[in-house]
Amino acid sequence: MRFYLQKVVFYVVAFWAALTLNFFIPRLMPGDPVDIMLSKLSAKGPVTPAARHAIELLLGTNTSQPIYSQYWEYLVKVFHGDLGVSVTYYPATVSSIIGQTLPWTISLIGLATIISFILGIGLGQLAGWKRGSWLDNLLPVTTMFQSIPYFWLALILVYLLSSRLSLFPLFGGYDINGAPPGLSFAFIRSALYYGTLPALTIVISSVGGWILGMRNMMVATLSEDYILTAEAKGLTSRRIMTTYAGRNAVLPSLSGFAISLGFVVAGSIVTEEVFSYPGIGSALLNAVQNNDYSLMQGIFLVITLSVLGANLLVDFLYAIIDPRTRARA
Amino acid sequence: MFLTSQRKRTRRGVTTATLLAATALVVSGCSSGSSTTSATASTSTITVFNGATGTIAENFNPFSPTFLQPTDGVIYEPLFYYNLASTAAPKPELGTTYKWNSDGTRLTITTRAGVKWTDGQPFTAADVAYTFNLIHKSPALNTSGLNATASTTGPNTVVLNFKTTSFTQEAQVLGNTAIIPEHIWSKITDPAKDINANPVGTGPYKLKTFTPESYSLTKNTDYWQAGEPQIDTVRYISLATADAAAGALLAGQVDWMSAFLPNLKQLVAGHPNITYVNTPALTTSLFTCSNTNLGCTGPQTDPAVRQAIYYAIDRTQLNKLAGGGYAVPASPTMLLPARDQAWIANPANVTAPQVANPSKATSILEAAGYTKGPDGIYQKNGQRVSLTVQVVAGYSDYISAISVMTSELKAVGIELKSTQLSYNAWNSNETMGKFQLTMDSIGLGASSNPNFTYQRYATANTTKVGEVAASTGNYARYSNPTVDAAVATAAATNDPAAQKAQYAIVQKEIVRDLPYIPIYVNSTLTEFNTTNAVGWPSNTNTYAFPASWKSWDNGIVLKALKPAK
Repeated sequence: MRFYLQKVVFYVVAFWAALTLNFFIPRLMPGDPVDIMLSKLSAKGPVTPAARHAIELLLGTNTSQPIYSQYWEYLVKVFHGDLGVSVTYYPATVSSIIGQTLPWTISLIGLATIISFILGIGLGQLAGWKRGSWLDNLLPVTTMFQSIPYFWLALILVYLLSSRLSLFPLFGGYDINGAPPGLSFAFIRSALYYGTLPALTIVISSVGGWILGMRNMMVATLSEDYILTAEAKGLTSRRIMTTYAGRNAVLPSLSGFAISLGFVVAGSIVTEEVFSYPGIGSALLNAVQNNDYSLMQGIFLVITLSVLGANLLVDFLYAIIDPRTRARA
Repeated sequence: MFLTSQRKRTRRGVTTATLLAATALVVSGCSSGSSTTSATASTSTITVFNGATGTIAENFNPFSPTFLQPTDGVIYEPLFYYNLASTAAPKPELGTTYKWNSDGTRLTITTRAGVKWTDGQPFTAADVAYTFNLIHKSPALNTSGLNATASTTGPNTVVLNFKTTSFTQEAQVLGNTAIIPEHIWSKITDPAKDINANPVGTGPYKLKTFTPESYSLTKNTDYWQAGEPQIDTVRYISLATADAAAGALLAGQVDWMSAFLPNLKQLVAGHPNITYVNTPALTTSLFTCSNTNLGCTGPQTDPAVRQAIYYAIDRTQLNKLAGGGYAVPASPTMLLPARDQAWIANPANVTAPQVANPSKATSILEAAGYTKGPDGIYQKNGQRVSLTVQVVAGYSDYISAISVMTSELKAVGIELKSTQLSYNAWNSNETMGKFQLTMDSIGLGASSNPNFTYQRYATANTTKVGEVAASTGNYARYSNPTVDAAVATAAATNDPAAQKAQYAIVQKEIVRDLPYIPIYVNSTLTEFNTTNAVGWPSNTNTYAFPASWKSWDNGIVLKALKPAK
C-alpha cells in the first residue's frame, strides 16, 4: 500500500510541476496575441490604427495584472475545468476546440500505434524464433523506413498512392461532400478510407523499432533455461514461442507501448500537417503560431495528463506483473 | 502588417513544395483524368480554399476579428464596392449614390430599394443607420476609429455626421463596413462576442451547412440583382499546407485558391482547365529603422546608406531568382506603378531602377564621408556599414532575395547579414522597432487613394523604439514635419488635384529619405479551375481583386461566375 501511496504523491507533484511550466513557458514566447490577431484581420482587408484598441477591449487582454495573480487564477480555472477562450478560434472555448479535434487524433494515431505495436511484436517474435532466416531481412528494411524523416516518407507516399495512383484521398479526415460527421455507416466508412494512408505512414515509420526490440528480447529469452526445459518436456514449438518465450520477451516493449500511447496526442503534428487532418496536432500548431496561450495550455494539459496517466498505469501494471519492483531493497 | 498572415498560410509549405512542384510535373499527365467534378446537370458546386488551416471555428459575426472570410462580401454586403485591382469608381451595392458636404463632415447616402434580407424582411436605410450607430457606440466593435453618428432622413436616405473632416474615412465607411439587419442585431445582447451562427444578410449566398472541417453556402434565390448568382453551392475547405493545396488543385478538388506555387506555369501546363491570374499588389520592401531620435541605431539611420542600398540592388535578378519572375517593378513612391501612375507626380519616380548601379551607390556613400575599410566594407567614424535584416524563417522567397542582395551589396562595400525568426518574434520586433532592416511588404488599403500608404510615413502612427507602433503604421519610425503637413492637408480635401499636389510633396521627401526601400511588387497568384465554373477574373478583365482570401471581392467574383457548359 505504501508503494501505491508514494506513487500517487509523486504523480500529484509531477502534475503540479507540469501545470506550472504549462503556465510560464507560453508566456516566455515573443509576440502578443493582439498583434497576431491584427495581422490575421489585415489578411481579410485593411486595418486601421484604431483596431488595436478595439481588439484589446474585445479580448480583455489585461497584461497589467501581476503574474502571480494570473497564475492563481489559472490554477483555479483549471480545477474548475475552465480552460478559457481561444484567441485563434475566437470566440470558441478551448474545451470545445479540444473536444472537436481530440477524437480525430485519438482514433487515427491511437489505432495506428496499436496496429504498429501488434504487427511489430508479432513479426519480432517470429524473427527472433527463426533467427538467421529470411525474416531477419525485415530488420534493415523496417529500420531504414524508421530512419527516413517522417514528413518525407509521408510526402512520398502521398505522391505515389494519392497523386499518382489515386488510391487514397489527398487530404482531410472524411469526404466533406458526403455524409456529415455522425454515427452513420457512410461517414464511418469514409473516415476509415481517409484515415488509411495517414495510419499506414505511421505504421511504416514506427514498426521497425518494435520488431527490433522484440526480436532481440526473444533471442535473449530463448537462451534461458526454462525454454530448454520446455523443449525437453516436448511442448510444441508454437507453444514455446508464444507462451514461454514471447510472453517474457514482450515485457520491456509493453512499457514502451504504454508510454507511446501517452504520446499519441502529442506526436501527431507532422502527420496532421501533411494530410490536412482535422486533429489536435494542427490545432496546437495554430495555437503556437498565434500566441494563443489558452489553447496551448489546454492542449499541453491534455498531453501532460495522457503521458502521466500512461506512466502511472505502467507503474501499477509492472508492480502487479513483476513483484520485484515492489520489494524494497 | 498587411496580408502577412496570409503569407504565412500560403507559404509555410513552400520549402517542401519544391518536392510537390517537381512531383506534380510528373503527375500532370497522369492525374488529369482523376478529376472529381461534383457538378451535375441540375446543380453546380465550386470549392474554395481561402487559406483556412486546421479546424474551422464557426463565426459569421462581421464585427469579430476572427470571422470567417465569406462573411464580408458574400453573406453581408457593403454600401459600395472598391475594386483595388483597378482605378474604377466605387460600384454601387447596397448604396446607390453618396455625397459629401464641402468640409467633409456630412456624408449623405442613398440606399438601394427593393432589397430583402435572407429572412424575407425588407432592407432599409434604418438598417444602415443602425449599423454605423452600433459601431460608434461600442468601442470593442470600432476597429476603424469611426467617429460619426447616423440618422435616416427618408426610407432610402441615411446621413452620417462626422465630428471632424473625414474624407479619408470614405472607403472605410462605404466599402469596408458590412451592413447588418437591425431587427436581428438589436436582439443580440453582446454583438462583439456572438458567433452569429445563423447569419441573415443581403448577399448573394447564405449559410447552408457548417462543420469544423468545411462549410458550404447556398444561392440566395431572392438576391436583388436579377439573374445572379448562378452557381448553386460554394464550399469552403481547410488545408494544412501549400503542398496539399497544389495537390488538390491539380486533382480538380479545388476550384479557386490563391497560393504562390513555384513553377506554376509548368505545373498547370498539362491541365487545360486550370488557369491562373497574377495581380501584383504588395510592394516587397526593406523596412528600415530610420530615426535616431526615436531610438534607432545602426548605419541604416543615415539616408545615404539607404540610398546606396536602393541603387546597389539588381531588381531584375531578384525577380528572376526570388520572385519566380512573377513580380513587377515597384515605385520608390510606394504606390503601384500599374494602377497609381496618375498619383505619381514625377515620371522619374514611377519605377525603381531595374538594374544595379554600383558606381552611383559608392559615389553616394563617398559623398557622405564614408571610406572603404581594409575588408572592402565602407566605414565612417569607425562604424562599418554592416546591417542585419530580419526575416521570417520559412518565407523561402524572402530568404533567397536576401541572399542575392547580400552578394550584390557586398560588391559595393555594404555588408548584409540576415537573421531568421519565427513569425511571432519577427512581428513583435517589427511593431516594437527592434530591427535594423526587416523584410516585409506594403499592402492594400481600403481604396486606391495614396492616403493609406502614406499613413505609414506619418509621425502620428509611430512611437519610440521599444513601444508598439500602430498596426500597419509607421514601423520605420520615420518622422518628417513636411510629410506630416502634406498628408494632413491632403486628407482635408476631396479634390484629387489638390491631393495630388500634396502627395507630390510627400513623394519628393520619401524618395530622398527612403525609410522603406522598395524591391518589387510581389506577385499574388490566384488559381482557377474552369471545369465547374467560368467567368473568373483574368489579366485583361480584373473586375475584382481575384485572390480567394480577399473579403468583399469574393462576393463580386461569386456573383459573376457562371456554371460551365
